[in-house]
Amino acid sequence: MVETTPKQRLLDTLEGKTSDRPPVICMGGMMNASIVEVMNSSGYTLPAAHDDADLMTSLAGAIQAQTGFENLGVPFCMTVEAELLGSSIDKGSLACEPKIAREAFASVEQVVYRDIDEMIEGGRIRTVTSATGKLSRSHGHLPVIVSMTGPVSTAASIVEPMNFYKQLRKNPAAAHRLLEYVTTLLIRFAEESVRAGADVIAIGDPSATGEILGPAMFREYAVRYLNLLTEAVRKLGAPVILHICGDIEMVRFLLPDLKANALSTDAMVNLARLKEEFPQITTMGNLSTYALEWSSPEKIALQTGKLVEDGIDIISPACGLSTSTTLANIRAMTGTVKGS
Amino acid sequence: MSETSEPSLFAALSDAVLNMDEDAARENAIRVIRERIDAYRAIEHGLVDGMNRAGQLFEDEEYFIPEILLCSDAMYAGLDILDPHIDRSRQRLRRKVVIGVVEGDTHDIGKNLVKTLLDAAGFEVVDLGRDIPPARIVDTAINEQADVIALSTLMTTTMDGMSEVIELLKAAGRRDALKVIVGGGPVSQAFADRIGADGYAPTAPAAVKLLQRLFEESAHA
Repeated sequence: MVETTPKQRLLDTLEGKTSDRPPVICMGGMMNASIVEVMNSSGYTLPAAHDDADLMTSLAGAIQAQTGFENLGVPFCMTVEAELLGSSIDKGSLACEPKIAREAFASVEQVVYRDIDEMIEGGRIRTVTSATGKLSRSHGHLPVIVSMTGPVSTAASIVEPMNFYKQLRKNPAAAHRLLEYVTTLLIRFAEESVRAGADVIAIGDPSATGEILGPAMFREYAVRYLNLLTEAVRKLGAPVILHICGDIEMVRFLLPDLKANALSTDAMVNLARLKEEFPQITTMGNLSTYALEWSSPEKIALQTGKLVEDGIDIISPACGLSTSTTLANIRAMTGTVKGS
Repeated sequence: MSETSEPSLFAALSDAVLNMDEDAARENAIRVIRERIDAYRAIEHGLVDGMNRAGQLFEDEEYFIPEILLCSDAMYAGLDILDPHIDRSRQRLRRKVVIGVVEGDTHDIGKNLVKTLLDAAGFEVVDLGRDIPPARIVDTAINEQADVIALSTLMTTTMDGMSEVIELLKAAGRRDALKVIVGGGPVSQAFADRIGADGYAPTAPAAVKLLQRLFEESAHA
């Protein structure tokens, strides 16, 4: 019998097919595993790897080899899109991830709409797609995941966020125009990534939680544009993983409306209960990143085993990993799933 | 123009805040001045009352971040007009809070909410903004002779900065002079206990109540 490759296992799981065991992955982007320990031992370091396709490739490979996660994930931040759209970025340091230094526009009304086809040629999209191509060619048995920033979070990264949130309610026409623009760019980014060899597109949209927006605006702005993006990506033949930050209680009833192949959630969400309530949803998660940073390999193994027992479809960290997380803890997590 | 009764004018100010109506907040604030009504009472019983009601709707999950931000815009629109007319002798002692988002995190929605609600609750707030190094938070708190440091983060990766603030305060010999409260998505009571913070609040309205309780306790201690 031919052994299932990690790529096939993940793709099967995302298609809703049963598999020998759940994949254990770390999607990259806001949830990347570029911990200090891996960077120091491999010599492939941030912040340089944010801008250099060869370094990005090597670091993604080193992360996979050392952690045992069954995928390659790029990029290592969620500022690629905002930078392209004009925000200034602080690239951070070895241990501190990049962040928006200043949003491009003070208000939703001031956004300058540019030609997306021209824009897509610039910035770090090329770095990401080039790394994606290299990783896909060198690691045929592993899935390459390109992680993107969701529409609401991208919009809130190019317009001063307080103004952005207010205009969602005060000026819906302008807010929708901005989100359409941003979503169009994200679709183009996904197209380029899939063309370069990405097997899966992951989306994280931390500024679009039910806690921030409430159910009405979550439906109007988050669900709508996430689905627009998801459907476009799925048409390209690539499955989509969507990570929802924070507590989902308030928007629970809207989750079946999301068109992603799998839903990843934060640590406070009871995924077993979510599966019970919505058997059609492929669940992903949700080992506490707090535990991953502070707990011991033994306890991590127990918690991971519980997720596997609960039938969670894909095992992964619940949120962004701290760069000081230890390799021993991550290996306890990946080892437990593989031994299951 | 007919004389409006105080209670109905205060109610109009309160409603203007609750209904996110900046124009109504301004118009009614101007009527307060024109009718020589006590500006301080108009703030307390009008604008602050409206913000408290908005905070309650936020806790009840009827209002969310966009609504609260718009309510606070209306409150500040009224406050800008009324504030210069306050009889300064009537000002009570205001506890001073230095608030900021710890270094590495550029999310400040939660922090802005806490700031607004603390402002409304009568605290004096020094807002350092977002992405602030622990040393600057501590230096500012000491220089400003603040009573409280309020720290927020939305990212697991920046939580260490909170404990660094407390360590720096200890090193400066000022830990007992100030209360340190923490909040934000990944933060918990257990985390607050572990780093030795004075308190944790899961929501912005809860942060206000927490500080009120901490100062009541220390007053009775």
